[in-house]
Amino acid sequence: MRKPTAICSISKRWERWRVSRRRLSAFLILMVLSTEPAFAGPSPINPDFADTAILAQLPNVRVNTAQPPSSPEALASQVHEYIRQARSTGDPRFIGYAEGILSPWPENRMTDELRVLRATLYQSQHKFDKARTDLRTVIQQGYGPQRLQALLTLANVQTVQGRYDQARTACQQLQQAMPGLISQSCLALVDARTGQAREAYQTLLAGYRQARGAATSEQLWALGTLGDLADQLDNDKAEQYWREVLLSNPDDLYIRAELADWYLRHHRAQPVLALTRGYEKVDSLAVLRAIAMRRLDHPDAPTLVQRLRERFSEARWRGSMLHKRDYARFQLHVENDPELALEFALANWKTQREPPDTRLLLLAAREAGQTERSRPVRQWLASHHQTDARYPGDTP
Amino acid sequence: MSHHNPLAFAALWVALLALMSPVAHAHKASDSFIYISPDEGHLRVDLALRDLALLVSLDRNGDQAVSGAEVRAARPAITRTVEQGVMVSNAGGPCRLTGQRWGISEHSDGNYAAADYRIDCADGGTPDTLRYTLLFHIDPLHRALVSIEGSSGSRLAVFGPETGEISLGTRPPSPWQTFLTFVHQGVLHLLMGMDHLFFLLVLAIPATLGVRAATGSRRALGLTARIKKLAGIATAFTVAHSITLALSALNIVNLPSAWVETAIALSITVTAINVIWPVLGERTWLLAFGFGLVHGFGFASVLSDLTSGQSELASALAGFNIGVELGQIGLLLVGFPLLYALAHRPVYERAMVPIMLAVVGVTSLVWAGQRVPLPGWIG
Repeated sequence: MRKPTAICSISKRWERWRVSRRRLSAFLILMVLSTEPAFAGPSPINPDFADTAILAQLPNVRVNTAQPPSSPEALASQVHEYIRQARSTGDPRFIGYAEGILSPWPENRMTDELRVLRATLYQSQHKFDKARTDLRTVIQQGYGPQRLQALLTLANVQTVQGRYDQARTACQQLQQAMPGLISQSCLALVDARTGQAREAYQTLLAGYRQARGAATSEQLWALGTLGDLADQLDNDKAEQYWREVLLSNPDDLYIRAELADWYLRHHRAQPVLALTRGYEKVDSLAVLRAIAMRRLDHPDAPTLVQRLRERFSEARWRGSMLHKRDYARFQLHVENDPELALEFALANWKTQREPPDTRLLLLAAREAGQTERSRPVRQWLASHHQTDARYPGDTP
Repeated sequence: MSHHNPLAFAALWVALLALMSPVAHAHKASDSFIYISPDEGHLRVDLALRDLALLVSLDRNGDQAVSGAEVRAARPAITRTVEQGVMVSNAGGPCRLTGQRWGISEHSDGNYAAADYRIDCADGGTPDTLRYTLLFHIDPLHRALVSIEGSSGSRLAVFGPETGEISLGTRPPSPWQTFLTFVHQGVLHLLMGMDHLFFLLVLAIPATLGVRAATGSRRALGLTARIKKLAGIATAFTVAHSITLALSALNIVNLPSAWVETAIALSITVTAINVIWPVLGERTWLLAFGFGLVHGFGFASVLSDLTSGQSELASALAGFNIGVELGQIGLLLVGFPLLYALAHRPVYERAMVPIMLAVVGVTSLVWAGQRVPLPGWIG
């Protein structure tokens, strides 16, 4: 039975208010935590390093430290290159370099392409409102590839933040402008998050099978989505889909982390080591690697865990916790501190509501014996009819 | 594949993944480390070799690897860079840094060039101010993490592109200092923001006019009555925006800023219209209260930009609010007598008021149009 809309929206608002009270307490706790000096003294200065020692490896991309590009096209291509580099290596310095050349650019010379890129940078720094503003401008006034890109990016932002109605609208607009596997994947993901996972999976699978001639990038995109939907339905095909994506695109860190997490959930720690080898600098993958090493009693586990502790405490000193999910995961499954994990999982969930975010929060609440704190999340899930095999039940 | 532009797709695919990865998969970001003991006159600066390579030519043979020999060869350039980018001073002027120990140190993401310095200030006193300017022009996300060691323990601070300087007093800025800083910010924001000036103007105008009688003509009000009326309006506005400012600053209620800005602009238009056609009634104080609630959210978004990394949130909030009030009172003290003086001339009510209202009403309507986050109503 559907509730009348007014009641529904009041109850939603009430729930939002309750969530924000939780946020307030999480915020206060974070303030307390962030003032705690969690610091060891500086490491010693070594004056006697060998001349032949390789002390640092520089990135292959040249960083522009001289004159910034003067045409919008040149600027866009440089920003694009930096973003690509940040994506494939997980290195946030490139986000900074991109911002460094883009932010002095005058507003009245902004092009649609630059706005889409700026929105991407905003999103990667969790400035979601600003990202949306730029994307909407492009969707309204732009045309061609930039408008498509803006629609897809907006759909992605909205889906990540759990704003499924708005995400669906963006996916539909994308479908009108350009039917194909990308827009099908876009819609399938939103449908799956709102109570129609099985149908969405079947439809996308059928679409994928019919589109054998589609561009590789489209096929890979659909495969990545199929993996996610399969995983949501507890279908082991997920492994195969994601493996296939990584075969063509080994630097897809997002899929790599999803697959590694899948192995951990299926009690297979060994393949996680192989998947995360060489990716120790990427926080999400390093945390998954540490969990796997612990399970396997790997001799290198203490070193990696120590390195992660240091990295996270530096990030807290820095103050911008852009990696709350990773930190919460680290606290929950490496440090065995579900209370702290829950605080960060709650703070993370404020802005990111993908299944891994939700799962982590529910797990931490259960482990911490504070399931009442995950109740608003459960209510939110119920209001979207979102069910997911990855989510734990509340009773241990 | 006839309807697809392959180029569009290449771009699409790349940026799409870019969106998803950097957030969730951050490495350690670019940080420098500064350890300073003002009392002992000691400073240590650690700069990541990767970051230094952007400032001095480290990789002389261009093989994308920095060797020990290359670091040694670049030592003079590194020292010059640090001297230009890290400045210690006190009331007597800049202090001199003398290098003592130099080498490589290790942090969680690799090797850093590290150096110890002795600090000598011109007046022989202890340094009290630190500045740091390196790298921000290339990477605005770069930060310098500072640890200030004192006899009573250490304190952490962070340099970002907008930090300017950090005070080395071993105590963090007192709530009182924070309060004063934010009073200043509050005054500035009220006086620099055309929105609030316009809104106050259209709120004040009815108090300068008489009371509409049943016949449609206006009955003149005495000065005391006008001031009372104005005080009521100003108080209602203040109470209302204080409530929402607090709710929003404490993260209890959050509204999307684009809509708040649009609503603020519209509230000015509506209030301007209401002076001529009192569709919302003649009790201006009620209007001031209702719309004051909206303006409070606007103040909050400014405040939240200023308070990132601010631990004294309560002092900041109180200071900002009081600053806004001071700005408001100051403005009314200057503006109201001016309007009152003019109000005695017939041209005031017949021409000046309508012109002011038209200018304010139309301008704010244009703002509303620019701010509305519409495009297709998605999101």
